[in-house]
This record gives sequence, C-alpha cells and structure tokens, in this order.
Amino acid sequence: MTSLVTASNVTKRFGDLRAVDNVSFEIEKGKILGLFGPNGAGKTTLLKAVLGLTDCEGQLSVLGLDPFRQRKELMKNICFIADVAVLPRWIKVTQLLDFIESVHPNFSRKRAEELLSQTKVRSEAKVRELSKGMVTQLHLSIITAIDARLLVLDEPTLGLDIIFRKEFYGNLLNDYFDGERTILITTHQVEEIEHLMTDIMFINDGRILLDSSMESLPDKYFELMTSGEDADKARQLGPIFERDVFGKKVMTFEGVDRERLAGLGEAHTPSVADLFVAKVKGAAA
Amino acid sequence: MITNQMALIRRELWEHRSIYVAPAAIAVIMSLVSLAGMVTASAFDNEIRMAILGASNIVGDAERQAAMTVFFLGTSWIFLFTLAILTVFYSLDSLYAERKDKSILFWRSLPVTDAETVISKLLTAVVVLPLVAVAAIIATHLINLVVTSIWISMKGGDAGHLIWGSVALLDNWMAALIVTFASAAWMSPFIGWFLFVSAFTKRMPLLMAFMPLILVPLIELIILRSSYFAEAVFGRGGMMPLFRGMDMHDFFDEDNMAVKEELIRLLAHLDIVQFLASPSLWAGIIVCGLLTTAAIYVRRYRDES
Repeated sequence: MTSLVTASNVTKRFGDLRAVDNVSFEIEKGKILGLFGPNGAGKTTLLKAVLGLTDCEGQLSVLGLDPFRQRKELMKNICFIADVAVLPRWIKVTQLLDFIESVHPNFSRKRAEELLSQTKVRSEAKVRELSKGMVTQLHLSIITAIDARLLVLDEPTLGLDIIFRKEFYGNLLNDYFDGERTILITTHQVEEIEHLMTDIMFINDGRILLDSSMESLPDKYFELMTSGEDADKARQLGPIFERDVFGKKVMTFEGVDRERLAGLGEAHTPSVADLFVAKVKGAAA
Repeated sequence: MITNQMALIRRELWEHRSIYVAPAAIAVIMSLVSLAGMVTASAFDNEIRMAILGASNIVGDAERQAAMTVFFLGTSWIFLFTLAILTVFYSLDSLYAERKDKSILFWRSLPVTDAETVISKLLTAVVVLPLVAVAAIIATHLINLVVTSIWISMKGGDAGHLIWGSVALLDNWMAALIVTFASAAWMSPFIGWFLFVSAFTKRMPLLMAFMPLILVPLIELIILRSSYFAEAVFGRGGMMPLFRGMDMHDFFDEDNMAVKEELIRLLAHLDIVQFLASPSLWAGIIVCGLLTTAAIYVRRYRDES
C-alpha cells in the first residue's frame, strides 16, 4: 500500500493550547477520507499542517515531502479548496485561467474550459459578479483540471444551497475522482458525503477519536434500540453512549460481539452522524 | 522562476489597475488643459501672431530650448509626484488586500513560493510603476508637442523650427528615466517598509505605516534630544546625491547676456557616478532588502486563521 500522507506524533501548539495533540495516521492512495470534528477540534489546523500552511512538531510527510519546507513542490501535486470565498473577487475568469496556466505545470486549461462550458460561468465575468454557487463551480472546475494526486477540501460547500451541494459532490465523483486520486474532506454536512467516502476519521480536542475504513465500521460499531430490563442488561456490556428516542434507549457499542446482544433489542449500524455524536459525547462523559 | 515572475507581475497589473489608469488619466487631463489653454489663447489672435513672430525672430535657440525644458520638467514632476503617491498606496495594499479578502489562501494553494510573490510586489513597485511613469511622461510630451505644433502652424508659425527644433527630446527623456528610477532606488527603504507593514498589519495599513515615522522621531527627540531618525526619514527625499550643485548665476553667460547652452541639457545636471557611489543609496537598498525579507517571513509563517 502506498501512503500519500504519513503523520506520526504530530502536534501543533498555540501557546498552551494544543490544537493538534500527538496525532498519528496514514492516508492511502485512492481513498476518500472524511475528517469530522466539532468546531475548534483541530480539523483546520491539521489540514493546514498537511498543506504546509503551518509548521508543526512531529513527523509529517505528504507525498514524500515535508509540507512546510517544500510547499512549492508540494503544491504542484496538491489542490485545496479552503472555503468558497477565497477566489479573489476582482479577477476575471479568463485572467484566473491565464495565471494558473502560467504557474501550474499540471493544469490543463482545455479541461477547465470544457468543464466551465457546462456551467453558467462566463469567461469574461469577474468573480465578484458570480453567485456563491458559481464561484464554487469555477473553483471545482479549476481543481478538476489540475492533475493533482491529493485534493483537500475544507468545508467546500459551506453556504451553498442543496442543489449546488448535490451537484458539487456529483461532479467531484464523476469528473475528479478516478481511483488514482485521493481526497481529504471536512464538512459539517456529514450525511452528504457519507456514501462517497471510503475512510473516516473523527477528531476532537486535537486528538483522533476514530480512524477506520467505512467497510469495517459495521463490524466495530452498532446501535441497539432497547428498553426496560433489556436495557439494563445491555448497559452492563458497556455502551459508549446512550440516548433516548421515543421513550426507548439507543445504545452505541464499540467492539462488542453482536451475538451477545441478540434478543436484547433491535441492532443496526449507526449513521456516521450518530456515531460521531456517540464518540464525541462518549469521550467527554 | 522568470515565467512565474512575469505571471505574478501581470497579476499585479490586473489587480491594481490604478498603476496605469492614474498616469493615463493625468496625461489626458494635462493634454486637455493645454488644449483648452490654446483655445482660450486663440481669442487674442493678434497678440499670438505677434508673439510667434517675436519668438521666431528675436529669442535665441538657447532661450527657446530653456523655455521648453522648463515646461517639460514641470510635466515630469507632476508624474513623479503621482508616482510617489501610487507607490505608497500600491505597496501598502499589495500584501494587505489578499489577507483582507482571504484570497491569500487561494494564492497559496498554487505552486508559487511566498518569496516569489513578495518579490513580484517589490518589483512592481520599484520597476513597473516607474516604467509606467516614464511612459506617461513621454506620451504627454509627445501629445503636447503635436497639439502645439498643429496650433502654431494654424497661426502661421513655423512649428518645425519653433517647437521641434527647440526640444532636446532625448536629453529630457533620458533625464526623466534616470531621475525616476534613481528616485525609486533611493526611496526603496520606504517601499520595503510599506511592504512589511502591508504584510504585517491587521488593520489600517496607511496609519500603521506612518504612525511610527512620526512617533519614533518624537520619542527620540524627547528621550535622546537628538533627531537622527527624523533626518534620515524626512530628510532623505531632499538628499538624493544625483543632482550636481546648481548655482543660478551659472546659467547666464553675463558677458553675452545669454543662457549658457550646455546648462540647458538636463543630463548635465545629473551625476550618476556620484549617485551610485553614495553609501546612503546602498544602505537604503539593504534596508529595503531586510524589510522585504521580513515581509516574506511574515507571509510565510503567520497563521491567518
């Protein structure tokens, strides 16, 4: 297996605060990794470290490079969308393409123009004249036209309406993702990317709470809906989190054999959002 | 490296259109003003004819050339003044605007180093802006000469002799080019300072750039009772060692009661060797280099979130 990103004991401090606290993980080629965490969990700081935008302690290697010290080299093979607002508002679409064409060795202007021709973005328009959704389309078209090995998306669909959001992920899968490329994505709208990611990572207070492939989630985690005496029995098996739904108890179990809970209630695999709440709140409890 | 620089500088011209719009606007305004002047003057038809006649016959070539040179110098100074203002605003905005609108995150997602970016902004300030100013000076001179020639011809004067024969165009333009670029080099520590403030400040770059220039001399005066900093900062503009000492008495050849012809040439008043040999010039360039490096460092290391 080839690791695109290898982090071991990565820490980033801001004064006394450890925004990223001794984190280790790997991202393999061809994966779509969803990174989730509450606000202030250290997601953005971790992404910045991966992108070479901030220095950090520990060993971090991205595409075999030190991201902070070899940022220019790295940026030939990485793309990122930090937030939809970052395209400069004064620039014209053609100027943007001209500029990227002259500084980026892996950018195909033809491909970008093809992709843009499928949108309503006019090439003579300035970014400030485009709607938020169109700016995202523009940004995604540019990034899709860059032959990059790793794409990092930090809240790419923030503030977009549902149609643009669906379209964004549709285009991402159809036009960008080809199994050779790797995507690292963070978003609050977990349910939107639940079905497209291959791997999942939770982070809270700068630490990794979960790092797993989507495939193996059902083996490790399940929820049990139960009530009354069954609930007491189930509770003895140590659920990581418990919540009330319509007067029943829903317990989340980690690494417990499903057979042992057979007959105590209705078992199913939790949604990513529920699992996230269980892990974050469970860890806090 | 070179391709990146060219692309980056072109980007500066897209973003900061005032770099060429302002000088072009001033060139147009100055041409319109001189045109309006001619139209107004045309009301005094006879007097104009007399003056042209007088100019053609009485005044010597040297005097006519001197008069044209003074007019040319006036135009050039207006553009130099514009250049100074544009440079202040451009360099203060260059690394501040991209942080304010957060586009810095996009620029940094491309394979361009922080050093390349900051250097492109420095080059725009010390090379591109002066080049535009010189181009505007030349264009304004030419437009005005052509318009005046047409007008004089219409009034029956010999424009070829009165105007074109009287201007040392190349001398004027070379002098404008040298003075413009020398000023940029001489004032480069300020450009470095503005770039640094632009990269550093969280708000109000103009205020943040000028406040220390006023406060530091004040503090020095109060605590040390000296004014070295004030002299170095405010005196610098007047100390440029490019100009030879000038004595107005030398202009006149008193025996013949005429302007000395060789002194009309502007280049004769510039001492490039003395300028390039001045330690103060190189000290300024080093300060500019240090401050630019500091600006690169801030852009690279500061976390913008």
